[in-house]
Amino acid sequence: MTKRQARWFFLVCTFGFAAIFIALTIHSHTRFPELTNADQLSPDVVAGKDVWHANNCINCHTLFGEGAYYAPDLTKITDHRGTEYLKAFLRDPSAFYSEEKHRRVMPNPELTEEEITQVIAFLEWVSKVDNQNWPPRPILVSGGTFPGTAVAPDVDPTEGAEGLSSTAAEGEALFRQSPPACFTCHSTAPGVNLAGPTLAGIGTRAAQVIEDPNYTGNAQTPEEYLVESILEPSAYLVPGEIYGANGMSFMPNNYSDQLTEEQVQLLVDYMMTLK
Amino acid sequence: MRYRSQIVAYWYFAVAMCLFGLQLVFGLLMAAKYLGPDPLLEFLPFDRAKAIHTNILIVWVLAGFMGAVYYVVPEESRTELHSTKLAYWGLVIWVIMGVTAVIGYLFGYTHGVKMLEQPLPHKMAIVVVMLMMFYNVFMTIKKAKRWTVTEGVLLAGLVLAALLYLPALLRYENYTIEGFYRWWTIHLWVEGVWEMIQASLLAFLLIRLSGADREVMEKWLYVIVGLVFLAGILGTAHHYYWIGVPQYWLPLGGFFSALEPLALFGMAIYAYFAMRRSRLDHPNGLGIHWAVGSAVFTVFGAGILGLAHTWPAVNKWTHGTLITPMHGHSAFYGAYVMIVLAMIVYTMPYLTRGRSESGSTMGYWAFWLQIAGMFGMTLSFATAGIAQTYLERIMGLGYLDTQWEIQVHFLMLVGTGSVFVIGVILFIWDFFRYPPRMDIDPNVPADDRWERNAAAART
Repeated sequence: MTKRQARWFFLVCTFGFAAIFIALTIHSHTRFPELTNADQLSPDVVAGKDVWHANNCINCHTLFGEGAYYAPDLTKITDHRGTEYLKAFLRDPSAFYSEEKHRRVMPNPELTEEEITQVIAFLEWVSKVDNQNWPPRPILVSGGTFPGTAVAPDVDPTEGAEGLSSTAAEGEALFRQSPPACFTCHSTAPGVNLAGPTLAGIGTRAAQVIEDPNYTGNAQTPEEYLVESILEPSAYLVPGEIYGANGMSFMPNNYSDQLTEEQVQLLVDYMMTLK
Repeated sequence: MRYRSQIVAYWYFAVAMCLFGLQLVFGLLMAAKYLGPDPLLEFLPFDRAKAIHTNILIVWVLAGFMGAVYYVVPEESRTELHSTKLAYWGLVIWVIMGVTAVIGYLFGYTHGVKMLEQPLPHKMAIVVVMLMMFYNVFMTIKKAKRWTVTEGVLLAGLVLAALLYLPALLRYENYTIEGFYRWWTIHLWVEGVWEMIQASLLAFLLIRLSGADREVMEKWLYVIVGLVFLAGILGTAHHYYWIGVPQYWLPLGGFFSALEPLALFGMAIYAYFAMRRSRLDHPNGLGIHWAVGSAVFTVFGAGILGLAHTWPAVNKWTHGTLITPMHGHSAFYGAYVMIVLAMIVYTMPYLTRGRSESGSTMGYWAFWLQIAGMFGMTLSFATAGIAQTYLERIMGLGYLDTQWEIQVHFLMLVGTGSVFVIGVILFIWDFFRYPPRMDIDPNVPADDRWERNAAAART
């Protein structure tokens, strides 16, 4: 190869690939509105993005897996935690995590109520961006799915569940699916309380709860209580300051939109087996 | 040093050295924060330390590049710089920009976009200093009516670096689009035009240190830079995984970023053959260590460790884990820190008084402690990242619980990081041990004599 040919190689590679790159960039712009739900970029979402930047969140957390690696990924956080929970957390993170127990705690960002609403709106928008379904399995903030990691990550957890003998098995598969992502807040191991109380023994405990004089809901049977807890989490608050406050449960209250009646029944069938 | 104005380079390098030391203070602090609990939680939380750590790196490496330009341009164009005053003003603005940015981050004054945290006035200052340098260099070359390919590639790299910084000045409402253009700056810098700068500085050093034939070296420089862009431009796609872009960026990112190591291997082979063919009689053995070391460490950190997690099917699981800083630390160190240090070690005997051309024992200790420390840090991040990927991403253990399980790797990180810091302290000490020259000393042999001797021997 002569020096002249080498120069041509350099020029063709540089300008040729730059041209392809720019063409693809232009094409990507035609797809961004659809992929990122640009119509949902409300003033709150945009303001929330500014709150996110102003507080340097990206230098501890990751978003779309991109950022620093010192705090959990927040891409799907609004799928895993209800709005009330996130609000209470952002008002005072130290009420939820402690350096003694978790080794790390987020310093209080001292946001106003308005900023908190905005940044949650932003994270809600982020969670809906079409990003090739990443992460492939939910990234939990704390706790774990042990035991119960039987669901292979690449397999749709509901696939094949129909063939199982009991509806409880289908319910379990649904429990570990996201959404509804029940397992990101509720463990089934005794004593392992995550963002929500453990469901170990709930099949037995449900009967005791409705007998309890402090019970404020309308359920008459254990099954009804479980349905009520899923669809109207605030009907009765399980004691514990990280579970709810001011009569509002921190659990998302939109499962009546996300789940069909049959799916709720599957979850109840599964939970009734946890004795 | 054959031209008085080249002494400008010394002051750029001196600033770079001070900032390099400061960067590591924050680096070590962050490693300690991984162990927790953090007594500085309220005063200096992790996010501020991290913004400072990465920003000082960018500021000092660019200061090093600019210093290198002010040394190489008079050397290659065979003339004094157009204006040393302008070059010094550039440095003053650069230092003010860097120092005020760091103080601002300490108090939470940030733009909050990763690596581009600089507030708008600081971003403007960066662009202004770059423009001042181009003007200065352009006038120098115009006056001399003489330029070389090595110099041209170096300058093209810096012009493109300034151009690619421009998208960072804009405001985006859509976070996905903001991320898309953020990589035009970050990726196309570090895996594009900065590699162009690295390759040209390496070519300059190899020509000088090995006496390799300039025509041959410059021909291969074109090929290497061509390969950098062949793979690097579309390789940007590997940063577009999972951020909300069309599907086709995934296979593109996998394929082209898998080609990225080609140019890096090319560079290492290039350095190896240049040195093998040379008579190895250049006295600056330490300079040779750094130049060849940079080429080799780049293959390891940027090439092999980048390749390790660039394929979408792998990256799906490793994305956003400590695998990324594994690659980030070793790649940046090999490609950019080492090439700047190589330029410093090569030029110091000419720019300072009383220094032996063959380097010092302390200089060799600095080299090997840094290599050992950085290798250890890379392994610490790698082992931590692999464990994290399995526990958190595949098994489904919570983030906080996983971080607790991998504490031992953070201990390793603090230990190996400390070895690295000792190496850097020795390097900085060795740098400041000798005073800078204020004028040309006719008793010092010209620094291009190996190139000329070798060229004479060939004809």
